[in-house]
Formats: sequence, C-alpha cells, structure tokens
Amino acid sequence: MRRYGIRKTIRSVATIGIAGAASLFAYSSAFAAFGQPGGVTDEARDMHNLYLVTLAIAAVVFLAVQGALIYIIIRYRRGKREDMPAQIHGSNIVEFIWVGIPVAIVLALFTYTVIVLNTVERGADEDDMSVHVQGFQFGWEFTYSMDNLGPERSEAGSDEEFSIVGAGLDSPELVIPVDERVEFQLQSDDVIHSFYVVDFLYKLDLVPGRDNRFAVTPRETGVYQGYCAELCGVDHALMRFTVRVVEQDEFDDWVEEMRGGGEEAVSGASDTTSAVREP
Amino acid sequence: MATVAAPGTQAYARPALLDWLTTVDHKKLGILYLYFTMFFFAVGGILALLVRTQLAVADSSFVSNNAYNQIFTMHASAMLFLFIIPVWAGFGNYLVPLQIGAADMAFPRINALSFWLLPPAGILMFAGFLVEGGSANAGWTAYSPLAQQSGSGMDLWIISVIILGVSSTIGAANFMVTMFRMRAPGMTMFRMPIFCWTMLVTAVLQLLATPVLAAALTMLFIDRNFGGAFFDPNTGGNAILWQNIFWFYSHPAVYIMILPGMGIISEIIPVFSRKPLFGYKAFVFATMAIGGLGFSVWAHHMFTTGAVLLPFFSFMTFLIGVPTGVKIFNWLGTMWRGSITFTTPMLFGIGFVSMFLIGGINGMFSAVVPIDFAIHDTYFVVAHIHYVLFGGSVMAVFGGFYYWFPKIWGRKLNETLGKWHFGLMLIGFNLAFFPMHLLGLDGMPRRIATYSESGWEALNFASTVGSFLIGVSMIPFLIAVVAAFMRPKDQPDDPWEANTLEWGTTSPPPVYNFDELPEVRSERPLFDRRHPDLAGGGH
Repeated sequence: MRRYGIRKTIRSVATIGIAGAASLFAYSSAFAAFGQPGGVTDEARDMHNLYLVTLAIAAVVFLAVQGALIYIIIRYRRGKREDMPAQIHGSNIVEFIWVGIPVAIVLALFTYTVIVLNTVERGADEDDMSVHVQGFQFGWEFTYSMDNLGPERSEAGSDEEFSIVGAGLDSPELVIPVDERVEFQLQSDDVIHSFYVVDFLYKLDLVPGRDNRFAVTPRETGVYQGYCAELCGVDHALMRFTVRVVEQDEFDDWVEEMRGGGEEAVSGASDTTSAVREP
Repeated sequence: MATVAAPGTQAYARPALLDWLTTVDHKKLGILYLYFTMFFFAVGGILALLVRTQLAVADSSFVSNNAYNQIFTMHASAMLFLFIIPVWAGFGNYLVPLQIGAADMAFPRINALSFWLLPPAGILMFAGFLVEGGSANAGWTAYSPLAQQSGSGMDLWIISVIILGVSSTIGAANFMVTMFRMRAPGMTMFRMPIFCWTMLVTAVLQLLATPVLAAALTMLFIDRNFGGAFFDPNTGGNAILWQNIFWFYSHPAVYIMILPGMGIISEIIPVFSRKPLFGYKAFVFATMAIGGLGFSVWAHHMFTTGAVLLPFFSFMTFLIGVPTGVKIFNWLGTMWRGSITFTTPMLFGIGFVSMFLIGGINGMFSAVVPIDFAIHDTYFVVAHIHYVLFGGSVMAVFGGFYYWFPKIWGRKLNETLGKWHFGLMLIGFNLAFFPMHLLGLDGMPRRIATYSESGWEALNFASTVGSFLIGVSMIPFLIAVVAAFMRPKDQPDDPWEANTLEWGTTSPPPVYNFDELPEVRSERPLFDRRHPDLAGGGH
C-alpha cells in the first residue's frame, strides 16, 4: 500500500512537471526575449553580471520553495483516511535554520550590490566629455560645449555650443563616441523626467532644482533606444530618444558638421530636428 | 448551540433600510465595508481592462493619452484606497470582535463613522471625471511638480484621500483598543488568532503612517490652491520632499495592504491542513518585524532620484525580505505532514503562497540597487506589485470570502463554481502579469499610454488576454454568490471544523455575538473543544 502511495505521488509530480514544461514551451516564442539585454557600457556589463547572479539565486529559491509547496500539497493531501495528523506547533531548530538561510543570501547579495554600486556610481573625471541633457514636456535637448568634449577634442575657454532638440514623434538623437567616458548632466525646469537608455541598463531622474549626473563608458557602437521613464504628463509616452554610439573618428566628423550648422544648430534646428521647444 | 432569538431585540426593530443606515453593529458595518469595497474592486477592474485594451496592440488609439493617464491613475487609486485597504477593515470589523470573543468593537459609533466616511470619499474621487480637466491624472503617487499641473480633479482626489486617511486612522485606534482591552477571559495576546495579530500590526502602521500622508496631501493642496511653496522648485519648494513624505506613508501602506491577507491565509491553511500554524510566535514576531522595518525602507522607491543614500535603503530592503521569507516557511511547515483538503478557501490560500513567493522574489531584484536602475519605472515593477497585491492580497480576499461566507451569511458558496473561479483567476493572473517581467526587462516604461515597438506586442497582447480572463473568472464567483443567496441559511456553527472563536457561535451570529464563550486555553479554542485529548501544546 505504502509503495503504491509513493508511486502515485511521483506520478502526480511528474504530470505536473510535464504540464508545466509543456506550457512554458508553448510560450517560448513569446518568451524569446526573456532576460535583460547584455548592456553596452562598462557599467551596464557589471550590472548585468549582478543581474545574472541574482537571477540564478532567484531561480534556485523559486524552484526549491515552489517545488516544496507542490510536493507537500500532493504528498500530504487527505486521502480516505480520517486520522488526525500529529499536532506539531513548531521547531526552534527548523525556524533558526530558515531564518539563517535568507539572512545568508541577503548578506551575500548586499555585499555584491555595494561592490557593483561603487563602480557604477563612481562618476566622471574633471576632463571627461560631458553632454547636457535638458528634459521638457515633452522632449529632449542635448547640448554639447566645445570646451567640454574630452581631453582630445576640447577647445579650452571656448563658449561655442550646439544642441539637438526633438519632441513628440520627432525624437532626437544623442551622439557619443565609443570607448570614451561620457558624463550626462541632467536638468529639467518643468516636472520630473527620467533619462532611461535601455541598453545602458540605467536611468536617472531629471529633478527640477537638482543637479543630477552620471557617467558611462560605452563599448559597442550602435543605436540604442531611450525613454522618459517618469510620468511627466499627457505625452509622456512620446518622450522618446535614441543614443547613437559611433567610432571616435566618426564622432569628430559629426562634431565638425554640427559646428558647421552654426546659428541653426545653436538654436536647435539641426538636421536631426524640426520640432522647436515650446517656450 | 446558540439561540438567535434574544429577548429584547424585537424592541429595537426598525425598517431594514434605516437599520443598515444607522447601525453600529460591527457585523453589519463589516458587511457594508465588504459591499462597498467589492463595488470599487469591480470599478477598478473595469478601469484595468480599459488600460489593457489600450495596450493590447502597438500605437493604439482606443483612448487618448490624456484619458489613459486618468484611467490608470484612477485604477490604482480605486484599487488601493477604495478596495484593498478598506476591505481589510471590512474583514477586521466583522471578525476581530468575534475572534477575540467580544460583543462589538470598543467604539461602535466611531466604527460607524469610519465606514460612512468612505462613500463620500469614493464619490468625490470619481466626481473628478465630471469636472473640467478630468480626474486626477498624475498617478496614484501624485508626484510633484506634475501634480501641480492637473485640473481640479486632482483637488477632489486629494480631499478624497485625506477623508479615507481619517477613516483609516480612527479605525486603527478602534481596532487597537478593541484588541488590547476586550479579549475574552483566557485569551492572552499570544493566544489571539493570527488574523487579529496582523490586523493589530496593520492598525499600528495606519495610526503612525496615515497622518503623515494627510500632512503631505494638505501641503500639496496648499501648493495647488493657495500658493504654497512646499514641493514645486519653481516657487522655492523641493520636489524630492514630496517623494520622501509620500513614501514614508506609502511604503508602510504596502504592508497595510498585505499583512491582513497573510493573516487570513494563516487562518485558512491550518484549518484545511488539520494542524496548528507552524511557529505561531515566529509568525507574530515576523509580522512585527515587517511592521517596524516597513518604516525604514521608503526611499527604495526613489533609487533613481539621485537623492538617496543607496546602500542604507538597499540593506534595509534586503532585511525586510527575511521576515517575509520566514512567513512562507511558516505556511509550508503548517501543511507539511498535515492532512490537506482542497476546499476553495484552501486553494486560494495555496495560490497566495505560490504567487506571493514570486512577488517576494521579484521584489528582491529591486533591492539590488544596480538592477533597480534598469527595472525601476518599467513593467517589471508593475509585475512585482501585482504579484504582491493581486497574487497575494486579492487571493486572500477571495479565500476569506469563501471561508467566512457561511459564517457571515449563513450559506455556503458552491465549491465547484469556486474551483472554476480559482482556476480561471490563477491562469488569467499569470497570463496577465508574468509577461510584464519580460516587457520591463526589455525596457518598456510603465505608465506609457502607447508604444511603437513591435517586439512588445505579443507579450502585451498575452497580458491583455490574461486580464480579460481574470474578468471572466468573476462570473462563476458572482453566480455562486447569487445562488447562495437564493438558498436558505442552512450552515451549522462550524462547517469547516475550524479553530477560532467566531465558529463557536451561530452562522450568522446573533447581534450580541455569543450566548456562551468556549474556554480559551490556546490559540485554537474550538480545536481544543473538539479534541480534548489533543489539547495543549500551544501558547
């Protein structure tokens, strides 16, 4: 009798497992995008590694606990027998162990978190290139200053600037060179926005009255999608932008081209823009 | 055992409507709370379906961007402020006096006031749809300075939430006094039913946190109408200040929204496992720890503001995961070596444990600050909150409904329909919310009225199908309720072989609750009475 019970349990567990796997498989096309993109900056790669470790821990915890739950409800379901189970009120040893396991996990994860946090948040050096990012309802203005384009390119003392502006469906493109540390200086004068580049795995809010900035070193050329991630009003959904990471030579050429734009570029009507910022 | 017809009740007979409008009976008020909150659950649910319909396909124009912002703001406001917080007050009102063997709440008239503040608040909040500019549209978080720009619907929203806060605060004081002063003879604090413990900790959180929200909302109201300069940097205020004060309330509020749900399933799981709750005291201490730590994690909603001491709030957030995890082990330990029956309440209890586990695990991703930088304000967070508040709290609400329905209304909800309800809801829920993890990781920001990425369409469509399946799952529930009301009240005192005092009186109980109180020698007085041989060993 007892063997039959165990076999029945195993069969039930197997049935549920197969059903679960089948439904996951049926889903798999939709789930092809599972997981985080790998990240295209030094910082993003560190953060992605942290994500993978966290995901692994999460998967183990999920499978262990969910598995235990499924096992328990199958194994200890009431059969035809009406006997009363032993009235166990608790166990100090068991309770200490299951407080200890989560404590150990969170201490380990916290330590790793702080290590990655220190790398990600270390900021820019004095002479690193910087881009001023102005968010507004509902678009972006990216401003480059000629005295702030990194040690190779900067013209010290120059007050020459050019900007790219875009709003709504005409989203602006921010251009930066690969393998160079770039600082983004974020500012907003109306409401809170958030500068979110998906493949940077990073976002930082533009808070009126605050000087928020962060720095990254992009390692892969390409065009990356950005969004405003903080609800900012009626057209929040349309406050998109792209970041184009280019080879350093290409960036130099682009800068010269933008400077050639002269007054037009300064006023924000470069070839990548048409929408003009509302007053 | 008890007789319903008490001498004297006839003397106070009044027309039914007048009776319901003027009652101070905790049971009737509890029922009013439940009707009120289920109504707004339906309203919030319909708003959710509008949201999901808009997002089903890319570049949708089912509703305008402006309407969308109003819809999702009111969905969250209705679900949080008009459903989930007061629904616990409803269960608490009905059950706390019964579970501790009291005749009523400590302050019955204040109890009536707590309830009657709700309908005007609900009307005010939704009256926003009738005024120029529409309802509140800055999200339930009402971040400033954005909230300064909304139309007068925002003022109605602010007043409404302040009124709801007053209701919560006085209700909290009432629950605390009731549990501290009115327990039956023999019922020490550590023999109180777990549901009462979670209501007590919830009440403490409400008493401490809700006035902070009222202060913040008052400042926002002054900012908007009388030229205050609290939160708008353009007038010398500080936008981050709003977030700090708001989340100082609203993070504890997340526990206000889930702790009583944990209490409910901690009543259900032992009954249908035929075992006491494994580690009763550990569970109580874990509840207190969650309540205490709940006040030290608010800024984890603000990791991307650049204005937060990141390691501190990360550490505290990790820490609060520990007592939460312990509770899951308590429930597993209770079922382990038990004798489990899969009644509808138990299915919802098991569903809670299973789904809340996911809501706990995906919450840990946000505690890891560098991961939060990516997933904050994306659909990943929307998935998280729904695994906690739907997979957790709503499961517990329905579990509680099926479990206490025989006690409250004297009739049983049909088990077959209940199982259909549970099954459809569980599938619909996971179909609606699991894909949101993937959308969030792939970068879909939350609160966007539309999107153009074709890669997001399949997952969004799946989510929309799931949300409508949740809607469909309510059909068997409603049929079960209607069918139950068409039958006579035939339920015995204790149809489930339960543990706590409310099952020691008639179903439904008489006005004064108990003709005689069972002896209380542990946290399971009714179990002890049924099984004198097994009694003891508790607390």
